Amino acid sequence: MAAVVLVMTLHGCVSVKPYQRAYLNDENMQPGKPDIEKFEAGAHTYREGASGGGNGKASGGCGCN
Amino acid sequence: MKKKYLALGLLATALSASAQKAKDSAYKQQSVSQTDVQVLFSYYTQEGDHSAVTGGIGTEALQVYAPEVTITHKRDSVNTFYINTGVDVITSASTDKIDHVVSSASRVDARTHLDAGYSRLLRRQRLRIGVHSGFSIESDYLSIPVGVTLGHTSADGSREVSAHFQLFLDDLRWGRLDPDHFSPEKLIYPEELRYKEWFTEYKRRSYNASFALYQVINARMELAVFPELVYQHGLLSTPFHRVYFTGDSLKVENLPRERWKVPLGIQLNTFVGNRVILRSYYRFYKDNFAITAHTLQLEAPVKITPRLTLSPVVRYYHQQASKYFKPYKAHEIRERFYTSDYDLSAFDSYKLGLGARYAFYKPFLGKYSFREAALRYAFYKRSDGLSAHMITLLLAADHTRVHGPKKK
Repeated sequence: MAAVVLVMTLHGCVSVKPYQRAYLNDENMQPGKPDIEKFEAGAHTYREGASGGGNGKASGGCGCN
Repeated sequence: MKKKYLALGLLATALSASAQKAKDSAYKQQSVSQTDVQVLFSYYTQEGDHSAVTGGIGTEALQVYAPEVTITHKRDSVNTFYINTGVDVITSASTDKIDHVVSSASRVDARTHLDAGYSRLLRRQRLRIGVHSGFSIESDYLSIPVGVTLGHTSADGSREVSAHFQLFLDDLRWGRLDPDHFSPEKLIYPEELRYKEWFTEYKRRSYNASFALYQVINARMELAVFPELVYQHGLLSTPFHRVYFTGDSLKVENLPRERWKVPLGIQLNTFVGNRVILRSYYRFYKDNFAITAHTLQLEAPVKITPRLTLSPVVRYYHQQASKYFKPYKAHEIRERFYTSDYDLSAFDSYKLGLGARYAFYKPFLGKYSFREAALRYAFYKRSDGLSAHMITLLLAADHTRVHGPKKK
C-alpha cells in the first residue's frame, strides 16, 4: 500500500526550475531532523524501544538500544 | 508581506546562482570557503517510577546537561570537513542504586564524544562521498563509530538518493576513566549480584545501513523516505539492570545476543501559503524482540517575520512490548530471556513542544557573521508515568572567504 502511494506520488512530480526553488530552499523545508532536534531524537532512542528511520542514530554508541 | 518573502527567496536563489557562475568561469576563477560554527546547549530532566536498575520499580529521576559544538569547513564547493564534539553530564538517581551507596561516584557520569568526517563531491558523477569516525566514552562504555556515506543528485536537482553505512564497535567494560585503573577492567553488575560473572562477552557490534530518497514533488512540496536496516550482536543486555522474579529470585537482565531492527520513515514537507510550513513525519518500526512501533510527528514552522520563526511541534508514539519484558516480580525463573526495563514495555507517549528561531545574518569582526539563534522546549509524557522536559539552545555563526586567482 505504502509502495503504491509512493509510486503514485513520485509519478506526479513536476520539474522545478532553479528560479522556482524559493520555497524549497527555505531552511524549514529541508528534510530530515533539524540540528536543534538532534538532542531530543537522542533522548527518544533512550526512552523508547524503536529508533532509526530518519537521519539520526539508529543504534550503537551508547548504553541504549 | 508576500512580496517580501518572494523577494528574499529570489535573492537567495540569484546569489546562489551567481556564486556558482563565478566559480565556473574560466576567466575569473574564484572559490568560496565557508566555516560554520554551531553550538548547542541541551538540558534534559525526567521523573518516573520504573527504573530498570532497581528491577522496574524505583525512581528514574535523571538530569542531563549536554553542550556540544560542530565546526563545518567547506573549503570549496567540492571538499567539506566537519568535527563535532561534546560532553553529556548525567546525574542519575537510579544509577546510584547500582551499589546502594548514596551519592556514590556512580551518581554522576559523563559521556564525552567526538566525531570527525570528510566528504568530497565528484561533480561529473554528481556524487558525494564521505567518511567519518570518532569515539564516545563514559565510565562503563566505549564506542568507536566508523561510517561511509554516498549521495547522488539527479541532473535537475529534484531527486537525491543516499546511503549511509555505519559500524559501531562498543565495549561495555568499566574502568577506563577510573583513576586507579585507566583501563577496561570488568562489567559492572548490581552490588549484590557481583558474586559471579553473568556474561562471558563484553562487546557489542552494531551494523547500520540507512538509506534516503529525497524527491521534489513540486515547487512547494518535498518528500523523503528513510528505509533502514540494523543488525546488532554481542552483549545487548545492560549488566547493571536487575530483574526480580516471582518467588523473590534476583538476576541480571538477560536479552538475546542478536537484534534486527527495521525502521522505515517517511517525511513530507509542504510550504502552505507564504508563512507556514507543514513538516509531517511517520515511522514504522519492527524488530526481532517483537517490538512494533508507530511514530507520528507534525511540526508547523510559522514565519512571524522574515527573520523570526515559531515552530510548534506535536509527536505521538505507540509501542507494543518486547516479548522479553515483564514488570517487577512477574518473570518466571525458568525463562531464558528477561528484562524489566520499561523502555521495552508497551506504552504510548506524546511530546508537545515549541521552537523559536531568529536569523540574524549580522556581520561581526569582518568576515564573520552571526547567523542564527534558536531555542526549543518540549514536554514528553509516557503512559507508564514517565515525564521529561527538554530544552535546547542553538547558536550559529559562519565565516566566509572568497579566494581569487593568485597574482603573478
